Amino acid sequence: MSRVRLGPDDDPAVVVAALREDDPVIALLGNPNVGKSSLFNRLTGIGVETAHYPGTTQVMNLGDTRVGERRAVVIDLPGTYSLSDQAAESAVTRRALVELRPDVAVAVVDATNLARNLYLVVQAIDLGLPMVVALNLVDEAERKGLAIDAAVLEARLGVPVLPCVAVTGEGVDAVVHAALATADASVCPMPPTYDAPFEALLKPVVTAAAELPERPGDLSPRAVAMLLFEGAPDLLGISGAMAHVAGAAAEARTASQEAYAEPPQVTLARERHALAGTVAEAATGARVGGRRRGPRDLWALTSSPKTGVPLLVFVMAALFGFLFVVGDFLATGFSRLWATFASPVISSAIHAVAGTGQVAEVLRWGFDAGIEASLAIGLPYILTFYVLLAILEDSGYLNSLSFLADRVMHHLGMHGRGLLPLVAAAGCNVPAMLAVRDLPTKRERLIGSTLVALVPCSARTAVILGAVGHYIGWQPALGVFSVVFAVGIGTGLGMNKLFPGHTGGLVMEMFAFRRPRIGGILKKAWAQFKEFLFVATPIVVVGSLVLGALYETGWLWKLTGPLEPVVVGWLGLPAIAGLTLVLGTLRKELALQLLVTMAVVAMGSAASDLTTFMTPTNLFVYALVNAIAVPCISTITVLVRQQGWARAVGIVAFTIGVALLVGGIFARLLPALGWA
Amino acid sequence: MPSETLEEYLEAIYKLSEHGEARPSRLAEAMSVSAPTVTSTLKRLKAGGLITRPGGAVALTPAGRTEALSIIRRHRLAERLLVDVLGMPWEDVHEEACKLEHALSPKVQAALETYLVNPDVCPHGHPIPSAEGDVAEPTGEPLCGFDTGADVEIVRIEEEDERLLSYLASLGMYPGTRVKVCDVAPFQGPLMVEVNGSRYALGRDVAAKIVVGSSKAPSATKKLTRR
Repeated sequence: MSRVRLGPDDDPAVVVAALREDDPVIALLGNPNVGKSSLFNRLTGIGVETAHYPGTTQVMNLGDTRVGERRAVVIDLPGTYSLSDQAAESAVTRRALVELRPDVAVAVVDATNLARNLYLVVQAIDLGLPMVVALNLVDEAERKGLAIDAAVLEARLGVPVLPCVAVTGEGVDAVVHAALATADASVCPMPPTYDAPFEALLKPVVTAAAELPERPGDLSPRAVAMLLFEGAPDLLGISGAMAHVAGAAAEARTASQEAYAEPPQVTLARERHALAGTVAEAATGARVGGRRRGPRDLWALTSSPKTGVPLLVFVMAALFGFLFVVGDFLATGFSRLWATFASPVISSAIHAVAGTGQVAEVLRWGFDAGIEASLAIGLPYILTFYVLLAILEDSGYLNSLSFLADRVMHHLGMHGRGLLPLVAAAGCNVPAMLAVRDLPTKRERLIGSTLVALVPCSARTAVILGAVGHYIGWQPALGVFSVVFAVGIGTGLGMNKLFPGHTGGLVMEMFAFRRPRIGGILKKAWAQFKEFLFVATPIVVVGSLVLGALYETGWLWKLTGPLEPVVVGWLGLPAIAGLTLVLGTLRKELALQLLVTMAVVAMGSAASDLTTFMTPTNLFVYALVNAIAVPCISTITVLVRQQGWARAVGIVAFTIGVALLVGGIFARLLPALGWA
Repeated sequence: MPSETLEEYLEAIYKLSEHGEARPSRLAEAMSVSAPTVTSTLKRLKAGGLITRPGGAVALTPAGRTEALSIIRRHRLAERLLVDVLGMPWEDVHEEACKLEHALSPKVQAALETYLVNPDVCPHGHPIPSAEGDVAEPTGEPLCGFDTGADVEIVRIEEEDERLLSYLASLGMYPGTRVKVCDVAPFQGPLMVEVNGSRYALGRDVAAKIVVGSSKAPSATKKLTRR
């Protein structure tokens, strides 16, 4: 895959053309959460490209697979329930099928919910593409007490049907072989037949389409007719020659409306569902031995409010606790290992190249402290979080969470799912910022990113506990948390009011519970983690070099002057504390460590006790500002990637503004209330 | 004869009162205007004897109801004309009918009715009031009013929301489909429904647009009171 360099913004058609090199193209098609991605991951290796149509957020994954001597390009299309244009994912999938012209489409269907899944299959057969059906999750179906007869399905649908279990790889080879054979033969399936009166309505449109000298995208007359009947003219780019077909379709729509007294697309959906239902019923039988109990039975517990809400609180607390405790433990361990093994090696390498002067010290900031900062967040927090996220996702629990939290999160301008990044952010902002990507709209992602930046992560919590909890007491520390929490809630409510648009209507399938598979989870977690590692690390290193240069050259002390009015004048803090707040951008807990170090450098060893030169109010304000202002450089890196420069700068500036405002208020309020 | 704006208000008030109490705030939302605008228009309607304001709510007087039904009748007739005769797409006609409705005299209405062979319902399935102001009782209630355990059948999808209608249709939810409410999330959250063996979470705003009839529902079905 490394032979072609492709940007994430390239036109999918270009990407596919560059990757295929005359090999067949297989498109994976299916409802969400039917194991399409598991199949994709199993077929393809590590090198995976992504592509999307400009203006859409629906991403298609592309990879290649080898079967014996042969190679094929695999496209993982967005999961969708239909091939119409009412939802972004279905419009993109339909467009990709028509425009990219895969040699064969593999429709992945969920054997436990055959009727609903076959709807999409029927629709795809109407498009006239060479097709194979991968009957996935046959093991889950058995657990449910169902036996699906693949031969009956094959006979009824007119396309090859292969049972498989994508997560374990069972039957996957057979699917690929059948797909390649179908691609080679290039056999288009016979179109399905709907009820006679409805077919009679369609007939004139098909006849008109058959008379076209050239059909868009080489589609079959029936495919063109169905697309026009469904009302998808823009996809086909109606030319003058097609005007009479479009006219015939409009007539058929009117006739359908009259005959069935409902919009034609509803009638078509009815016909397709009826057909899918009949086929599914014919192919489904009871399994010998009946139902096996399995994770499905957990259902009622997770989404019923009485048991679900306590469970939700428990899961969120566990997630937070795990990231906070285990993440922190791993991070400390990692830092220790780094200091023992990696740091000396890197230092001596740097000294060998750059001597022992200022330059070497700056390089150590970048390549020792910088890489450590990136990895110390990456390995313990991000990888851990992704494993936990993958478990929640693969088991189907995320759905229950979204369902139960939806109403509350609506007040903050997000769907229920937005709760997850916010809780994760309390462990570490970076994976939370990455998880914001899964929110459905631009508006939700903007609100989500901003709120995530305001959640104190474990490093900022460490500063609050270290500066306020340690030197003053737990009650003021709790006070800092309360203020930060209030700022976050206020921001969410405010953004929800101020920003145009509203949180859209929710229609979400509640998937049945599945047993998560460790292999799939690790692969998924690694794929996401890799992205962070290779994108964020270089930027963190560069940022660290800049901070290091400021520190080592002593220019940092010159910042004291410009910072003084704000730090000393407005926040009432010692100037040196302001400098460490700036340096805290590298790693938030670094702020406190550097504060002690620099205070000792500037004022002598007695200053290692912060209370010698900072009042309780100072410490409170310091921890508060550090908690609210500017997330760390790793978070900013991910934020820029997520939201673009303009919005990222806006969010960072917003956090600085709020931090200064709130900090300044408390610097005055606390003494007024009789605090020292 | 009230002006076009007043007619629009009467129509909106009628539709709101079909689903509960018409309050000025909800009216402002429905008409996309500010609260002060609503207040001043309501004063004019009250002065014209078309509405009363019992306890701050808005209620139509018999005269107001007649006017409201007249405009709704014209709107729905116009929709039928646009769809049946002119063959316009179903999804575009609501907006167009809003403009046309004000121009239809009783004579034109009668002619239309004859030409369209006395249609009972508009293309979206809503009843068309008669010239005498009689209207078939709307059947069904929004799905969002039902609680866990309800077993109901979809009657129609409200508010001429064509996109939602098609999307739900692709999931197998259209008039005639049976829907079972499995769970309701806390704080007036989404409803979880079971349709043909699949479960979906439906936001309250979406569930409000799905009108269901409980004809086949067991008598034990509880109904939540509206907030």
